[in-house]
Amino acid sequence: MNRLLDKSLKPLAIYALIVLLLSIPAYYFIVDRIWVSELDKHQYVLRDKIESRLVKLNLPDSTVEQTINIWNKIEPGFVFTAHPTDQVIKDSVYTTMRFDDFLQDREQFRALSTSVRINNKHYRLLIETNMEEADETVTAISLAAIFFFLLLLGGFILLIRRTSAKIWQPFYITLDTLRKFKLNSDQEISFTPSDTQEFNELNDSLSKLLIRNVNVYKQQKEFTENVSHELQTPLAIVQSKLDLLFQHPTLTNDQYNIVESAHTALTRVSRINKNLLLLARIENHQFADHENIDLSILLHNMMEMLSEHLEQKQLTLENILQPDVKIEANSVLLEVLINNLLINAIRHNSIKGRISIELTEHRLRLTNTGSHTLAANKLFKRFSTTSTETPGSGLGLAIIKQICDLYQWKVSYSFINNLHIFTISFKDPITLPAPSS
Amino acid sequence: MKLLIIEDEAELATSIAAYLSGENYTCEFAANFSQAIHKINLYEYDCILLDLMLPGGDGMQILAELKKQNKQDGVIIISAKNSLYDKIQGLQIGADDYLAKPFHLSELSARVFSVIRRKNFTNSNIVRQNELQIDILSKTIQVKDTPVTLTKREYALLLYFISNKNRVISKNALAEHLSGDIADMLDNHDFVYSHIKNLKKKLSDAGCGNYLKSVYGTGYRWEI
Repeated sequence: MNRLLDKSLKPLAIYALIVLLLSIPAYYFIVDRIWVSELDKHQYVLRDKIESRLVKLNLPDSTVEQTINIWNKIEPGFVFTAHPTDQVIKDSVYTTMRFDDFLQDREQFRALSTSVRINNKHYRLLIETNMEEADETVTAISLAAIFFFLLLLGGFILLIRRTSAKIWQPFYITLDTLRKFKLNSDQEISFTPSDTQEFNELNDSLSKLLIRNVNVYKQQKEFTENVSHELQTPLAIVQSKLDLLFQHPTLTNDQYNIVESAHTALTRVSRINKNLLLLARIENHQFADHENIDLSILLHNMMEMLSEHLEQKQLTLENILQPDVKIEANSVLLEVLINNLLINAIRHNSIKGRISIELTEHRLRLTNTGSHTLAANKLFKRFSTTSTETPGSGLGLAIIKQICDLYQWKVSYSFINNLHIFTISFKDPITLPAPSS
Repeated sequence: MKLLIIEDEAELATSIAAYLSGENYTCEFAANFSQAIHKINLYEYDCILLDLMLPGGDGMQILAELKKQNKQDGVIIISAKNSLYDKIQGLQIGADDYLAKPFHLSELSARVFSVIRRKNFTNSNIVRQNELQIDILSKTIQVKDTPVTLTKREYALLLYFISNKNRVISKNALAEHLSGDIADMLDNHDFVYSHIKNLKKKLSDAGCGNYLKSVYGTGYRWEI
């Protein structure tokens, strides 16, 4: 994933590169054209100078031949030749590549082949000037282009980092605010205002969206609580009517069993309702008060309360409880948590099975015998574990999870060697900041 | 014994009255706040069943009013809220018990029984039934002067039956009475059966008549 600032740099860099690449041939043609036309002009000037100077010398014909010969030998780039005919031949201008004896390399020359008249005799004059080869020119221009491209790119990066970072600063602040926002934390969300209209609009829209979401979330929480609440009274009425029906003198055995079945189902509804209400209350932070609780003693007491249910299933209970394990929590929630864990261990156990409880300062672990592994990913979700074999409320583990989340404890499940293992890791006291001495 | 049922749900109030009137309780009703205030100002009750959410006012204020007038009526809060805060507040202001809706009528009857016994028989609180004698204060049992030692559970069961005489009580209601919230999370209520078996045996060994009858297979009734 690319960062925003890098994204705005990329097209700029590509555009600069294209422009500079196109400039290479353009510069070459311009330089070449100027070069060639300057050379041509220069060579005509040379020709005129040579002609006028030779004419001014007023040399006899024989000396002219001699002078030309010497000239040809001394002056490089100039070749006089006797004119083949008396007629004037048109001048020719051209560029040529040939091997140069002196430089021992192939060189490019601009040449002017023209006619000179001395003592009424026509001579052919070839003027050649060594010029830069095309490839060397292109290379030099390209190097310059690359240099400037790098200069541009560096400039872009620097400028974008500087200016864009400043321009986008409010955006990053908004992003950070959003990242820290939690729907269920009850805190107001507020964005830092900026001097950019668009960012303020973005912040406004986000605020509206979030406020709407928070309201929907609150309504939903309240809805759950209200519904559960409102259900209690009709449930109480149904329960009381069933209790009265039990007292009916003409009730037959069959009718009693029907009422009893209805009653059992009603108990289940009541339990689900109660648990939903509990979940809603935990979510609504209605268990804010907490105290320092001796978990070792609490566990001990709760195990004792459940002992008759252990006997019923002929379960063996072993426990390794480190004494004096103190924990900061709401006493009701902690009791609910341990209750649910213990009852799960009893309910989902096999006859003559085992339960072991292990408590240390850092964690509580419950292990019980079982036949098959549970789907760990769905386990702690509401109503995901209800099965027809063991019809619970489907909320026991969801409540456990919710309570652990509240106190930032970690709850995990594993199934090893036909054992269900639930572990609750308390906040590690070592990670707490040490008091400054 | 006179009871006042302060409850705006008429159906629930009549059910409660129908069940409790069989226990020789006379029930009166108040369906809203002003009726309730009116009645507590005029009369004395042995026990008041108080719903907290009433049309016209908060049930807590009725409780406060009773306290202000220094009335000795026993009060059991019956609330749909089931919140610990309400429970603590109610008990602090002066309620004698707190029962969350929905509840079993037999459970309510047991609570009413216990509140009335506590309020009205402070010195000698002894329940007698033929050869059976229960001392509520010391929680001891005697059958024709022979002391019987019961476990906590067995004693709780016996008292439950005594306060629901001639009533059919389902095993579920008994399980809930013994284990509270734990019971409704466990599907197996057979533990009730073993406690009942032990109770019956201890009573009959001491020479007590067989008042506790099994009915309809899974229900029980204390017949007298």
